[in-house]
Amino acid sequence: METGKIGAGKHLTRIITKAYMDLHERAANGAFVVWIAINVPAEIFLGFENVVYGVPESHAAMNAAKGVGVTQCVKAEQLGYSMDLCSYARIDIGCVSDHGKDSPSFGLPKPDLIVSNNNNCSLLTKWFDVHHRQMGVPHFLIDVPFCYQPQKEKDREYIVRQFKDLIRVIEEMSGQKFHMDRFCQAVDYSIQGVALWKKFLEFADHKPSGITAFDSFVHMAPFLILRGVPAFEEHYRLLVEETEQRIADCVFPVPEEKYRLFWDNIAPWHQLRKMSSRLAELNANIVGATYTSCIGTKEGSFDLFPFDGTDPMHFLARTQNAYICPHGLELRKQAMAGVVRKLKIDGIIFACNRSCKPYSITQMDQQKHFFNQEGIPTVMIEVDHADARKYNEENSFLRIEALLEAIDAKRAA
Amino acid sequence: MTSIITNLLKLRETRKKIVGCLPLYPPMEIFHSMGLVPITLWGLRDMIRSLDESDRHLQNYSCSVARRAAEFILSESGSMLDGIFAYNACDTLRNLPEILSNGLQDAGRPLPLFQIHIPMAPRSQTDAGDYFRNEIFSLIRRLEETFHISFSIDRFQDSVTKYNEVRNLYRRMENLAASGKMAFQDFMVAFRDSGFLAVEDQIRFLSGEVSRFLKKDPKQVKHPVMISGILPPPLPVIQAIGAAGLRIVCNDIASLGRFYGYSPDLNSSVEQYYVDFYENHIPCPTLLYSADNRLGYLLSLLHDTSAEGVIFVGEKFCEYEYFEFPYMEKRLKEEGIPSVLIEIAVDDEDNIAAMKNRIDAFAEAVGQNEGR
Repeated sequence: METGKIGAGKHLTRIITKAYMDLHERAANGAFVVWIAINVPAEIFLGFENVVYGVPESHAAMNAAKGVGVTQCVKAEQLGYSMDLCSYARIDIGCVSDHGKDSPSFGLPKPDLIVSNNNNCSLLTKWFDVHHRQMGVPHFLIDVPFCYQPQKEKDREYIVRQFKDLIRVIEEMSGQKFHMDRFCQAVDYSIQGVALWKKFLEFADHKPSGITAFDSFVHMAPFLILRGVPAFEEHYRLLVEETEQRIADCVFPVPEEKYRLFWDNIAPWHQLRKMSSRLAELNANIVGATYTSCIGTKEGSFDLFPFDGTDPMHFLARTQNAYICPHGLELRKQAMAGVVRKLKIDGIIFACNRSCKPYSITQMDQQKHFFNQEGIPTVMIEVDHADARKYNEENSFLRIEALLEAIDAKRAA
Repeated sequence: MTSIITNLLKLRETRKKIVGCLPLYPPMEIFHSMGLVPITLWGLRDMIRSLDESDRHLQNYSCSVARRAAEFILSESGSMLDGIFAYNACDTLRNLPEILSNGLQDAGRPLPLFQIHIPMAPRSQTDAGDYFRNEIFSLIRRLEETFHISFSIDRFQDSVTKYNEVRNLYRRMENLAASGKMAFQDFMVAFRDSGFLAVEDQIRFLSGEVSRFLKKDPKQVKHPVMISGILPPPLPVIQAIGAAGLRIVCNDIASLGRFYGYSPDLNSSVEQYYVDFYENHIPCPTLLYSADNRLGYLLSLLHDTSAEGVIFVGEKFCEYEYFEFPYMEKRLKEEGIPSVLIEIAVDDEDNIAAMKNRIDAFAEAVGQNEGR
């Protein structure tokens, strides 16, 4: 397996570092700072002249990927927060407790407003309530109805109404005016970037795959903290061009690819390098993941959901249920079945994650469905997305190797 | 045979259709007014000891409320049900209906599912009144279509009166327990035995119990305390609290005080009733919009009942509660009110020695606090 950063990797480091530096600098210079949940439409904030946003979940993932996740979790636990709570939340609460010490980005600048939503999980609102109380900062909660069938118009209207209320609150608090043209421009950048993101994921169609899911985990960072700006679109353009060229040059992450696997759950941030290397040694590649495939879609399908060019606010509301956790079992199965067939997946790894119960709770039924109805070997391993203490590499690989044997057995039959 | 099963069999004999409602706070009066029998599927600890069916679908890090409700519905006892109701109570419970539906489909006994979304946006932020009214109307329409029944505001008024009477009787019982006329464990036994009864039978049963305990002489209260959590602790733990010299005089338990603490009158329409019901509900971590009111509510309850400490009963894996414990403990400490957290998991009630130790230590802390 080829290691080392390619051009897009270096570009990613550069733009992420710059994004955090800009965030701190603009906050220090008086910008209105908002902390948001990952899928709160960031484009709304770009409709203002001087509003910046930080994303605690993404910041927590970065801490975990850089090896300080456990350090931050322990701080929260010492404050009385249970180890059973989401590790992103523990990292973030721990990090805030000592003003960003140990964080690769020195934490996030203190917010003026906190904006959560309950579509991925309601618990996020409880987590943000911790900051709301601790810091005395207002907390705006976007309530997104969970859906069992495709999102209904009545729910969409309710979400749009809340977006408009959010804009009104920011106008009142910041004294700034919302500019529709700036907002539309931001939506446009996001749409272009997301289309390129989907193109990047399509390189997994190639055999051997042009990418690994681990690449997609790493490169989703701009989606989380840089939506709505030119750098977002530029990064994914570079990533697509570079990956295209590598495939043309026959450079593949797992050249002797024998097993094409699919991942269900949040990325195992503390294991990216280790897990991908060890899988590559087995000629196995996780070529796709629900976590990254859902970006730019709507519930029930991992295909790109295009903007029809009419109402950007409506469009953003329409995609609020896309991110796996905001919709039910049947829609999850439907979307996953489509991509599993498209990518010609040999086996599925269900990452059972105590830290993310909403992502994990349907997995036992999904596992049965994919094994019994789709005939695909599957395995369930225990992984916490950000707390390395709740992961056992040997146990996990024992199970993954059993999965590979099951795939072999199926082929031989 | 447990009282729950006895009560359920009695319900079945009425030949009325039974709707199993996933916790926490379903709109019971609607179902009742339409000739259905709603039962909220918690308080199943005594009835459900094994979780074989649930374990086929849910990980063991789901809370006991979800696991026991799933077990009830997916096992033979679930065949008593004619429908399932759920709302967006929590991340686990919003996913459960489809999991149950799949399991029931496999078992060859599919049931109709009824769902509504209770708006969680704070009312001061977004007016969700119209949205919620529509949800209530949709539920009524679906019930009418599924069971070929009709809704009437008069019958609804009658149901509201009855459920308010039940809530009122529970409040009276809690007061009896606070005054020492009734041991809290007797209250819990009565609460358990009144579960899964038709509301009319609940009123008869609870009225009898209230009359019976009203005649008793009050026992001296040593150290009054509050319990707070999702479910009351198991009876052996309640006994341990009493044995430690503490008396539970008030509660902030989701299946108890938060459930019966507020009952609006029906002044206008069914939809307005539920706007009032949920908007002014006793604060609960699962009602996201009520978060800012919770501490104030707890402090006023402590003040009104002169409770000297709080025992938080942690429902293992209920992150809604666990995110709030550190803040609540800190603020109570600042007010000079001792608190302790005991954690109850599915299998913990058979092994309560460690909890007893914590309760004893807490009782000492409350005792030491007395002179301050």
